[in-house]
Amino acid sequence: MKLKRYLLDHILEILVFMVTLILMVLLLLPFSIPLYLIIMIIFLWILFFLIIFLGTYFKKAHFYRELEQNIQKLDQKYLVLEMVSTPTFYEGELFYEMLYEINKSMMENVKNYECSMQDFKEYIELWIHEVKLPISSLVLMCHNHKEYMNKSFIKQVKRLDQYMDQVLYYVRSENAEEDYLIKEVALHDIIQKVALKNKDDLLEKKIDFIVDIEDIYVLTDAKWLEFILNQIINNSIKYQKEENAYIEIKAKDEKDYIILTIKDNGIGIHKNDLPKVFQKTFTGENGRGEANSTGMGLYIVQKLCKKLGHKIEIQSVFGKYTCVQLTFAKHHFYKMDEEK
Amino acid sequence: MIVEDDKSIQKELEEYLQNAGYTVIILNDFEHAKEELLKANPDLILLDINLPKINGEILLKHIRKESNVPIIMVTSKVGELDEALSISYGADDYITKPYNPTILLLRIQNILKRVEHVKEVITYHDVTVNIGKGVLKKENEELQLTKNEMIIFLFLLNHQERIVTRDELMTELWDNHEYINDNALTVNISRLRSKLTEFGYPDVIQTRKGQGYILL
Repeated sequence: MKLKRYLLDHILEILVFMVTLILMVLLLLPFSIPLYLIIMIIFLWILFFLIIFLGTYFKKAHFYRELEQNIQKLDQKYLVLEMVSTPTFYEGELFYEMLYEINKSMMENVKNYECSMQDFKEYIELWIHEVKLPISSLVLMCHNHKEYMNKSFIKQVKRLDQYMDQVLYYVRSENAEEDYLIKEVALHDIIQKVALKNKDDLLEKKIDFIVDIEDIYVLTDAKWLEFILNQIINNSIKYQKEENAYIEIKAKDEKDYIILTIKDNGIGIHKNDLPKVFQKTFTGENGRGEANSTGMGLYIVQKLCKKLGHKIEIQSVFGKYTCVQLTFAKHHFYKMDEEK
Repeated sequence: MIVEDDKSIQKELEEYLQNAGYTVIILNDFEHAKEELLKANPDLILLDINLPKINGEILLKHIRKESNVPIIMVTSKVGELDEALSISYGADDYITKPYNPTILLLRIQNILKRVEHVKEVITYHDVTVNIGKGVLKKENEELQLTKNEMIIFLFLLNHQERIVTRDELMTELWDNHEYINDNALTVNISRLRSKLTEFGYPDVIQTRKGQGYILL
């Protein structure tokens, strides 16, 4: 609150005061009142006016300045009312009360959305569990009746399952709620699961699957990591070249962290596309050629990694290779937790 | 024994396991699940978590108090927490739907093998198998096998009564962290064949066109 602006705002009051003062002096003049008395009256008049005027100004200025400063300091600006003391003047009180009401209704609104989001999330999770039943039923049927349901059936069912997982983990990654469990997990066990899941595709497309990992343990959520690796390997399979294709998985144990690299000799990613691969619904040069690319896979992967605290990086040379690097921190804190 | 409330899966799973040579019992009365299960006294239970009237995890806890029967949890819940909970209640394994039936079969076999393992020494004709050392022993002769050859040989040996498909062999190998390709499997089998021939067992692994292999 600036004094100049405030003065301008109250120009009318100041003018009225001046006019009254002049009128009063003019009225007093005809009576033979001594000059010093008149000066005294003028002086006192102005003094009282200044006290009242500046008094209200400072009271208001104090309140508004506090409000302003607190708003600047806070990153959740809507909480500001909790930080300022209640104003001691009428206008301020009104203003404060109204702000409070507005805030309250906004909060209720946000809460409503939160609840409906939560409901939606829960429903999706439930729905996915339900959908998995007919899918498992279908898989079993395919195996029971191999004569007229061949591998292509199973392949489509598997695709269905993979898209289902994508939805599930998308919902999980978008949600503020933390429903994962971090513990020590053997990398080779997770890779085994992912390998078995993709075994048929890998064999059919004659992609060599080279794994060089022994007894390396990382701190993560096993299910989430399985999904992450599955997405990465799916991409490698999808964008593979025709001949001598391979996917190579290696892990390096450094002092403070473990680096897992998944390298393929596939078609690679264009230099221009590389910084954008983690963006939502980004498909890029490669994806456009491919009919069933949604651009969601890596986006979800990146979000999950962020939540779990893993670093993910992609290097690639177009036409040569793509290399995904996952970095897991070694945290002694978690280990102690486990020993309890 | 299958504890599963989805009728369609129940039926298909029953057929699948029967084809694999197991006797299957299906639980229908979920209200008295525990009593029924204990009365049936099965060799292994496949237990779903989402059941009508009772939660699979709680059922698991109750059964564990009275029996050591091997239990595999089969569920559509994908979550580390559920798995951790099930294992801590004493489940032997945890598989999420939709599972690969070949893998389910492998898991069942592994668990049953683990249970019976104590009394069984693996033999083939007059050869004893030493898995730890990776060798076959006959009187004073020894045959060294590579890890892959051993896995293939053991799998054929454990299913001597029927034809083993290439897919099953492949799944078994991959399940043991040996991610080999089609050519490598062929090479491994022919190498195993020639090793066995040298060892005095010619033509014991037979190829059945379009179906797989069988160990005689």
